[in-house]
Amino acid sequence: MQDSLRESQTEKRWLTALSEGDVSAMGGLFELYGERIFRYTYRMLRNRTDAEDATAETFLRVLKRSGELRADGAFRTWLFRIARNLCIDKMRQHRLIELPPDAVTSGAEDRTALKVAVQQALAELPLEYKEPLVLCDLEDMPAREAAEVLNISVPALKSRLYRGRRALRSKLGGVVEKSDEP
Amino acid sequence: MNRKFQAKLEDLAVDLYAGGELPEELEEELEAGAFNDPELCHDMVTLRQTVEALRRSEDVAYTEESHQRILMRIYAEGFDIRPKRPTPNYLQFHLPICG
Repeated sequence: MQDSLRESQTEKRWLTALSEGDVSAMGGLFELYGERIFRYTYRMLRNRTDAEDATAETFLRVLKRSGELRADGAFRTWLFRIARNLCIDKMRQHRLIELPPDAVTSGAEDRTALKVAVQQALAELPLEYKEPLVLCDLEDMPAREAAEVLNISVPALKSRLYRGRRALRSKLGGVVEKSDEP
Repeated sequence: MNRKFQAKLEDLAVDLYAGGELPEELEEELEAGAFNDPELCHDMVTLRQTVEALRRSEDVAYTEESHQRILMRIYAEGFDIRPKRPTPNYLQFHLPICG
């Protein structure tokens, strides 16, 4: 609680400085959100280079529109929305030129088969199910905020989230059950 | 209340149970109710296992190399955003020591 309060005060300070033209304030915002945005874009794109590009582009777009910034608490939602739109653009490009995602097993010998299976199943889900799962279950974002990022109502988000979890279970087949067997 | 609606409510209860969103007393009641209903029990258990497996599945590594590459892309557009974290030595070019 204390941490989030401190974080929001820090965010406000950086946003005010940035809106007044202090570009170096973005360094602080990048420290606050750079890693989260990278993780989000990586979860969406499953490719490190694309995730790095999308993260950099997200912050560049903020910099280019820094005059429009308001320290009203909606910055994080806006940031995720920009990142989301960039991910969707990249996914469209991938569909056209068929770039392969990073192999989920590469360099990750310590991952369990279940983790790999879950990530593969998640990657195969339709976007309308995958997005709420990434935001709510992996990013741990509150439903109201996730709904704002996706530009849908909270009931619509919950409906997609619950359907997505059931779709993920179907994709996984009996893998989850087997993994719990002694 | 018709059966179709009742089934929808049961599904919603399972969804909330799987995500850990049910209040404790309702969770216990649902578990008790599922004791004699193998189908409901299977639905509850497998969906909760799926959500737990998903939440445990992520290990995206945000490496120092990725951090630096993202910054380089931002610098390349002419924005010096001055990160608060210094660049580690192994990612810097070293000048030859003269003399």
